[in-house]
Amino acid sequence: MSTTRRKFLEFLGKGSVFAAFLAQIAAAGRALLPNVLYEPPKRFKIKRPDEYAQGFTFDAERRLFVVRQESTFHVISAVCTHLGCTVQWRGEEFDCPCHGSRFRPDGNVIGGPAPRPLAWYEVVQAPDGRLEVDTSTPVAQGFSLTVKKATA
Amino acid sequence: MREQLLRLWERLSWTWAPRSEREAGEAIVQNLWLHWFPAKIARRSMSWNYSFYLGVASASLFLILTVTGFLLMLFYVPATGQAYGDMKDLQFAVSFGWWLRNQHRWAAHGMVLVVYLHMARVFFTGAYRGQRFLNWIIGVVLLLATLLLSFTGYLLPWDQLALWAVTVGTNIAREGPVVGETIRYLLLGGTEIGQNALLRFYVLHVFILPVAVWILFGYHMWRVRKDGGLAAIETLRLGRRAEPKPVPTTKSYSLFGLTRGATVQVLSSTDMEEQDQGFSSPELTRRIALVFLLVFNITLLLSLLSNAPLEEAANPALTPNPAKAPWYFLWLQELVASTTVSIGSYRISGGLIGGIVVPGILLGVLGVWPLFDRSPQSCEGVWFARERRWQNITFAAITVVIVLLIAVGLGVRGPYWRLYWPGQPWPQMPRGL
Repeated sequence: MSTTRRKFLEFLGKGSVFAAFLAQIAAAGRALLPNVLYEPPKRFKIKRPDEYAQGFTFDAERRLFVVRQESTFHVISAVCTHLGCTVQWRGEEFDCPCHGSRFRPDGNVIGGPAPRPLAWYEVVQAPDGRLEVDTSTPVAQGFSLTVKKATA
Repeated sequence: MREQLLRLWERLSWTWAPRSEREAGEAIVQNLWLHWFPAKIARRSMSWNYSFYLGVASASLFLILTVTGFLLMLFYVPATGQAYGDMKDLQFAVSFGWWLRNQHRWAAHGMVLVVYLHMARVFFTGAYRGQRFLNWIIGVVLLLATLLLSFTGYLLPWDQLALWAVTVGTNIAREGPVVGETIRYLLLGGTEIGQNALLRFYVLHVFILPVAVWILFGYHMWRVRKDGGLAAIETLRLGRRAEPKPVPTTKSYSLFGLTRGATVQVLSSTDMEEQDQGFSSPELTRRIALVFLLVFNITLLLSLLSNAPLEEAANPALTPNPAKAPWYFLWLQELVASTTVSIGSYRISGGLIGGIVVPGILLGVLGVWPLFDRSPQSCEGVWFARERRWQNITFAAITVVIVLLIAVGLGVRGPYWRLYWPGQPWPQMPRGL
């Protein structure tokens, strides 16, 4: 009886030391997953509506296309859905330089390895008149914004 | 005084020209660096045209990489704003900085090639059977580590090649089922490629992976010894086993009576005729030194002939067109570009199939292959044994497919990854925005 108890206590003692050891390894691993990111915000303002020409405008800094048809705007991601290269607008379609994916003007896949259409993002007009884009979550295709006073 | 210094020197080094057998043996046994060799080695194991010294060449290249790598670290800060400028400094401002970088680059490319050839040699000679299976697995891990070192290495200049390689590489990781997203987050230290990502790849490249390779390399060598030396002598051994006379299991450590009785059990290569063997020092040590010098000078020659490339500074807005991976990853680029499949309305990305599944299967098959090799033991350590013909053809065929895919990527891929035949002009592409 006493040997069983001794063994049990020994198990508890060695086990707890070993568990503490494992927990420290887990803690070291967890430290590698950042809690705070110093990355550019996913929601940001771009230019005023009247600063965009008709058609497709590439925003290099944000890696997206602002598409203007009269006074209606929508925003399509320039990040290829295959492996993340920046697609280029070639007048009739988007083409990707890395693996040859091709997309229609609405972002749907024509050919190449891309598994999904290019993402569409929410675009609204901020109180100061500039357009504001939210890239944190894609929206349904066809999401657009019609502004009142877009001239030029 | 002079006597003592000489003795000290003998302790630290060894004699290249032993005057007696005892001296030749002691050179091996008393030296830290040489003690993993047996005192005597079968001449067949040391022959040039059995192993082509590809393992020695790999190790030589890795030594060059370690030394030039340490020196390069003194001129490089892993900061996104500075890394690219440091490359330019190495090229134009540091005396022989171009040489350091070129040597490092050519040795790295050479190592990918030579490690693969080394593996091919081991495969074609069937030198992975039985006890050697463990060392084969370690070899496969070393091949993988070599590729990871190359990948993490060409990220550091933070040029266009670097940026788009991290982009594609970490997006392939993201395609991994369940844990993919977390692994990408872990690798990048965030959701976007930036300072955290550069620092993490830097630490992987200059510490974690090289240390792992050095440890595995040491273990790889030790296992060669434990497994009875190169498989080249297995046929000799097999012939002797057919004779009634018992084969001694161990000799090498007790060869000169330095230790007696039951020592570490080592399959000895000394259970053969005297004339079939030579002393490791100097016969093997000389050859190793020669291979090292040869390798060093080949990389030097390449460094003089060709500069390590440096593309334009990293620019997330503009992907180079076409954006090609280094040659040893081009076959993977071909695979990820062409293996997206549709099942009904569901599409599985080539990033998953060509980037994870296919290479994973290849690596797995490579690892367990020796378990399914049912050829007779007489094939062990024999180049292109007839009984292993179909295995060798399979290995060669896979190699040829990989080489062809690389050739397609190098030769006929143009802007937007379309096919352009050699000589066919590429359309003019905007280089800026």
